[in-house]
Amino acid sequence: MRTVRKLVLGETWALPIGIAIAVGIAGILSAIAGSADWWEDAGGFILLALLACAFVAGLGIRR
Amino acid sequence: MTFVLTAVGAALAVALELFEALAIVLAVALTRRPAAALAGAAAAVLGCAVVGVLVGPVLVAQVAGDPLRVVVGVLLLLFGMEWMRKGVLRLAGRRARSDSYAEFVAEREALAEGEPPAAGRFDWPGFVISFKGVFLEGVEVILIVTVLAARPGGLAPTVVGSVAALLLVIGLGLVLHRPLRRLPESELKYVVGLVLTTFGTFFCAEGLGVDWPLADASLLIVLAIWLGISQAAVRVLAGAGGGRPSRVEEAAA
Repeated sequence: MRTVRKLVLGETWALPIGIAIAVGIAGILSAIAGSADWWEDAGGFILLALLACAFVAGLGIRR
Repeated sequence: MTFVLTAVGAALAVALELFEALAIVLAVALTRRPAAALAGAAAAVLGCAVVGVLVGPVLVAQVAGDPLRVVVGVLLLLFGMEWMRKGVLRLAGRRARSDSYAEFVAEREALAEGEPPAAGRFDWPGFVISFKGVFLEGVEVILIVTVLAARPGGLAPTVVGSVAALLLVIGLGLVLHRPLRRLPESELKYVVGLVLTTFGTFFCAEGLGVDWPLADASLLIVLAIWLGISQAAVRVLAGAGGGRPSRVEEAAA
C-alpha cells in the first residue's frame, strides 16, 4: 500500500493535499461564478496561482 | 501544438521510466542469470498490460465530459507536480541527481554480494527482482500514458510518443548499458514534470468551465509560467540551502 501511495500521491502529503485544496477552491469559485465572464476569462490563471502556492508548499520553502 | 507537446511528454516519461527498469534488468542479467532477468521482465510486462487493460477503459467509461477533464487534470497534476518538485530539488542541489547508471551499479553490487543461483535450478530470486523493478516502473508508465491518452485527441500523440520511447530504450538496451551514463536524467525528468503539470493545469481549468483566451496556444503561456515559477524556486532553494538536503529529502533518501 505504501508503494502504491508513493506511486500515485508522491513522497509528501503537502503536494497532493495542496492540489486538492487548490482544485477545491477553484471548483467553488466556478460554481459561484456560473457562466460569468470573469471566471471563463481568468479562472485558468486563478487555478494556476492556487496550484503555484501548493507547489511552493510542497517544496517546503520557508522564509 | 497539443499533439507535439503530448507526444514529447509521453515519450520522455515512458523512456525515463523504462531506463530505470532497464537498469534493474541489466543488473540481474549480468550478475545472476539472463534467462531469469528476461523472464521476470516479460512477466512484468504482461502484468502491466493487464493493469492497462483494466485502468484505461474504466477511466474513460466511468466519467465523461467536464468531470473527465477535471479527473484527468488532477491525475496529471499529481504526477507532473511531483516530478517537477523532485526536478527543482535536484537542480537546486537539495536532492541527489537522478542516475540510472548509478542505480545499475548499486543494484549490481548488491546482487553480487548475495548468494549465487544454484546450478541447474531456475533463479527465482533474480526473476522476482527483475519482475518487481519492471512492474513498478511499468505501472507508473501505464498510469501516465493512460491519463494522457484519455483526454480528447490524446490517444494518437501518446501512442506515437510511447512507441518511439519504447523502441529507443530497447535499442539502447541492446547496444549495452553505456548510454545510461550519458543521459541528463534530472533535467529530462524536470521537463516531463513541466509538460505534465502544464497539461494538468490546462485540462483541469477547462473541466471547471474556463475558456482559455488563445485556445490550445494557451498551453505555451501556461508552460512559460510554470517554467518561471519552477526556475525561481530552483534559484531560491540553491541560494538558501547551500546544497543541504531538506528534512523531507533526507527522510526520502
